[in-house]
Amino acid sequence: GAAGEAQCLSYTGCNFLRQRLVLATLSGRPLKIRKIRSKEEDPGLRDFEASFIRLIDKVTNGSRIEINQTGTTLYYQPGLLYGGSLEHDCSPSRGIGYYLESLLCLAPFMKHSLKIVLRGVTNDQVDPSVDVLKATALPLLKKFGIDGESLEIKINRRGMPPKGGGEILFSCPVRKVLQPVQFTDPGKIKRIRGTAYSVRVSPQMANRMVESARSILNKFLPDIYIYTDHMKGVNSGKSPGFGMCLTAETINGTILSAELASNPQGQGAVVLPEELGQNCAKLLLEEIYRGGCVDSTNQSLALLLMTLGQRDVSKVLLGPLSPYTIEFLRHLRSFFQIMFKIETKTAEEEHMGGEKVLMTCVGIGFCNLSKTIR
Amino acid sequence: LREEEEYEEKIDLSADTTGALKWKEDLTQKAAEAFLRQQRSTPNLRKLVYGTAVEDEDQESEDADDELGGLFRVSRPDKASKQKANALDCSKFLVEKPQDWDLEEVMSSIRDCFVTGKWEDDK
Repeated sequence: GAAGEAQCLSYTGCNFLRQRLVLATLSGRPLKIRKIRSKEEDPGLRDFEASFIRLIDKVTNGSRIEINQTGTTLYYQPGLLYGGSLEHDCSPSRGIGYYLESLLCLAPFMKHSLKIVLRGVTNDQVDPSVDVLKATALPLLKKFGIDGESLEIKINRRGMPPKGGGEILFSCPVRKVLQPVQFTDPGKIKRIRGTAYSVRVSPQMANRMVESARSILNKFLPDIYIYTDHMKGVNSGKSPGFGMCLTAETINGTILSAELASNPQGQGAVVLPEELGQNCAKLLLEEIYRGGCVDSTNQSLALLLMTLGQRDVSKVLLGPLSPYTIEFLRHLRSFFQIMFKIETKTAEEEHMGGEKVLMTCVGIGFCNLSKTIR
Repeated sequence: LREEEEYEEKIDLSADTTGALKWKEDLTQKAAEAFLRQQRSTPNLRKLVYGTAVEDEDQESEDADDELGGLFRVSRPDKASKQKANALDCSKFLVEKPQDWDLEEVMSSIRDCFVTGKWEDDK
């Protein structure tokens, strides 16, 4: 849209920075964020946020970004989503997932399909790992009609905090319109898959994690396969560590996920791989209890793609809404004037986990403008 | 707290009824409670997410002084959002109270989510 005419939205604080910048970009509305850590000893934007803003600037054309001297106020006037072949060094204080989550929201709407190399931390304890996004977000995009050979997340090098040194490639095709979805029956879980990874520690760590996770998950299902992944040399990044990602896949193509990573070198107590494997398996059981057709990490991506879909009804059954998703829904209303119908569903059957939430909306019929120009 | 009190009352009531009908009463009561719970929570969740129009207006007039020339519209956040304004920006939904997955009854709460569990008749 014509950014100059659109009304500016104003917020305070650094929380939800990414969803605000993403929605500003997609809606073409300018954005002002004030009081960013204004009362803290070290006020203003952090290095990882500055890196994120540079990334947004890279994937767009003609964006205007103004930051005051203390870094406590940010003004953003979005340009057009441009895409193309790019690379970006992500700050190692956050995972690559922090950046990739937003690129997943923007990539389908670029002028030129996005192909980007991201460097930094592939797996940490804070953000969704690249492994989990590869296993959950890509299948979700496919359900909205964003698919093809070029839809890919490739992990070239693994990098753990604090130093990182990982590298991934993300590429995504461009779509003019998105399909509406009717996603109300998750279906039963048929198999569990996963990856146990280790870098710069004994490769035995991965096997120990797998054994302990299996011992718990086997009580529910026989079809379990957890790959071990031990990258070496330059592909193992700059810091030692290990961790695990698990996914539960249903007969209807729903994928629920859980993950855990060891403490970064020099921080916290030493974690035993057996303990990590068990806890990760239990986290997956918690995610299955929450349930729904989209895992808790990808709720907002699903709601965004429903919002931007054709002018038709989309429905998706979710587990309980995460705090991040609740704020995302509020932002969707501010940027796109769209409100969802929200219905709580108590499980009809006794052994099917907790309460679910049925989300319904009519898409705004978002068109990728750059695709209509010949 | 209120729900606990109600629950205790019901136990007293059922203790007075004869044994044969006890389980039936329990079922209707459970169904009624589940229905009420759903009725209650549905509008609440929507309210939790979108707030009410009254709250919105309050917020805007409060923040209006902050802005020069009225160029920017301050979007609404409720008090809770204000407190977390500078919190960590992270999409992960942390499990606040992990359940004890070694317990048989906890395990059975998700049994039928798996193909190895019970299937509904129509599937």
